[in-house]
Amino acid sequence: MTVAEVLKPSAVPAAPAGTARRIRAGIWLTWLHLRTRRVPAAILALAVCGAVLRAALTWHWTFATGPYAQQVPLIIEAGAAAVIAVTAHSPFGEAERATGRWLPYLRLFAAIALTGLAILALQLGAVGESLNEGIPVLARNVIGFTGLGLVCSLVTGGLLAWTLPIGYMTFCQYALLEAWTAPWTWPVRPPDDRGAWIGACAVFAAGLVLFTVIGPRTRLSDDSC
Amino acid sequence: MSVMSVPLQASARALRLEFKRNAVPYLLPLLAAVFYFDALRTADGFPPVWTLRASVIGNHMLYAYSAFAGGLAAWAGSREGRRKTVDLVAAAPRAAWARLSVALAGTLCWLLLAFVAGVAVLYIHTALQATWGGPPLWPAFVGAVGVIVVTVIGFTAGVFFPGRFTAPLVAIGVLVLSDIGFREALSVTASSGTYALLSPATSLPVIDAGVYYHVAPDLPITQVMFMGGIAVALYGVLGLAPRLRELAWAGGRPSLRAALARGTDRLPNAVAVLLVACGVAASWTAFALAGTAKPDAVGGWQIPALHSAATDRPVPVTMHCRSGSGFQVCVHPAFSFYLHDVAAALDPLAAEIAGLPGAPRRAEEVASVSGGNEVQSGISGNPPVFEFSADYVGPMFGAFFGIPNAAAWRAGFREGLLNAFIEGPSQHPGPVPLDPAQQAVEDVLLTAVGSQPLGASSGQTAVNGKLTAATLANINAAARRFAALPASARHAWLAAHLAALRAGTVTLAQIP
Repeated sequence: MTVAEVLKPSAVPAAPAGTARRIRAGIWLTWLHLRTRRVPAAILALAVCGAVLRAALTWHWTFATGPYAQQVPLIIEAGAAAVIAVTAHSPFGEAERATGRWLPYLRLFAAIALTGLAILALQLGAVGESLNEGIPVLARNVIGFTGLGLVCSLVTGGLLAWTLPIGYMTFCQYALLEAWTAPWTWPVRPPDDRGAWIGACAVFAAGLVLFTVIGPRTRLSDDSC
Repeated sequence: MSVMSVPLQASARALRLEFKRNAVPYLLPLLAAVFYFDALRTADGFPPVWTLRASVIGNHMLYAYSAFAGGLAAWAGSREGRRKTVDLVAAAPRAAWARLSVALAGTLCWLLLAFVAGVAVLYIHTALQATWGGPPLWPAFVGAVGVIVVTVIGFTAGVFFPGRFTAPLVAIGVLVLSDIGFREALSVTASSGTYALLSPATSLPVIDAGVYYHVAPDLPITQVMFMGGIAVALYGVLGLAPRLRELAWAGGRPSLRAALARGTDRLPNAVAVLLVACGVAASWTAFALAGTAKPDAVGGWQIPALHSAATDRPVPVTMHCRSGSGFQVCVHPAFSFYLHDVAAALDPLAAEIAGLPGAPRRAEEVASVSGGNEVQSGISGNPPVFEFSADYVGPMFGAFFGIPNAAAWRAGFREGLLNAFIEGPSQHPGPVPLDPAQQAVEDVLLTAVGSQPLGASSGQTAVNGKLTAATLANINAAARRFAALPASARHAWLAAHLAALRAGTVTLAQIP
């Protein structure tokens, strides 16, 4: 065997094996990333949110019509978004950022996947029940609140990133009763309100981009709080 | 230095550190923003009547504070578990209960400070606008206990279920519970069970609540007892946390009794069990008391076991009055900021009908609920007095809730007086629909004093829902005829035919 034969591409079957290895490594890396962010527990928490929504609709914890009818769904949607925001926290802090170039992509993937799962979980919770304003508003609210949570994680860190979605939701309860119409109060607008959709999607996009590029605020520990 | 001063100094130092490192101060700006947009703006939309404005504490302020109190307390409570230092600190000489108490006290102090600041802002804002009365303390007290109980619930959840998701889940759990309580409280009736009255968030009180009669403290006492009992019981559970944790780790093999009777911890354990028992007893008692609540005569609720007859007596007060051209208008001093507007609305009309039989010489505000029933406006007494309430003037509801449209508001008052004047004394509760002739006369009198006539389109007759297009046209034609008469001729015709008009025996054709 000559060196030329060894170096001949056709003689190297490593390409598919390498790809498979890279895919396996990628899956493993993703899984490790998701585990460090407690994503499995987050999925469980999202399922709990869906179950609470189901219970609220089945046992009529919420009003059937009028502005009050949107209150409980709004709380649960903000809760789901808060759960997603809390997964932003990394136990490794600053050190993790020096480990490779995949971290932003993993953050992006985790945030989008969890947002989709949250919408799915809440939608499943509302199946067969009469949800005030329907699934589009539910999806819009989850998207918008999640964007707020991701933005908040840049300031407070992941563990306290739930505060802004919950705080904004509390304000929206007032805006709901006062029938505010500004696009930035998207949670209280009807499903076909274009401005509300633009507002929610803009917040989500901004949160996602900033969260992907900059990442949540990190500390060596959470001693300060 | 005494023996006791050493642990006290250590506790004070630990508390100071807790104040410094607590998460609540970082979130105070967010809490302040929510307070401003929700509680303060809502209160600003109400007339400056103390009881009404104070209802914002239970319905809005507590709601917003609960979310943060529950979440942040869960965050503080889960600290040891989150940092995986439970075993490490277990070796410290200080008891776990003392350690947890310091963390709880630090969080609670910050939250209560924020709550008291919010109440102070709300009350100072009201004091600058209110014309009568003083700040009611019970709503503030119920709110403070509400913050305490939510904080203790959150903290306990954090201690037993430490994790990053505990805080947000506790926050939304508290809000969902609050909304369920509010929904149930809105639909409370004496026959359907009154346990939902334990919810601090409830329906808006009548506009003049606490103005003519004192607000009975029965319900606030029960609410404080219920929530305080839960807080005390959970604080006791916190004292048992290490023992309960040991039991959980051991799979429940050693008995609870054996764990509690362990030598050195016997006294704290006994105190903790006692607190749990006292808390449960207090909450259970409050729950039972709430079940006995019944509506009182002035629109609130009373609990017989706690009720004091002294609160049923009317609050002594001197009405604020204004006399113009022989017609006197009186309102309660709590609503004296409306006196000028009411007088401006009624004076021209009173002058227009002055001298006619049954024409009121005076208009006076009365309590909007009496004997458990809503009071409608009407003319009674001799000399005749037009009585209206802060809620009802003729068909207008929420009269003193604000003046969104000054012209419509004035017309509402005038229509209320004219309805009562033209209908005469009625045996029916509430406004009685006018017949077409009465409606035509009312429209003319309203027009004469510069108000848009409401009757033919949306007034009393139309409310009755029996008008045909032909009748409407006939009413308008009769009104035009009557309006074309000189004022003195109208007055003379009314003086002669008012009794027949009130009896309903005048037809449209008979109107000149």
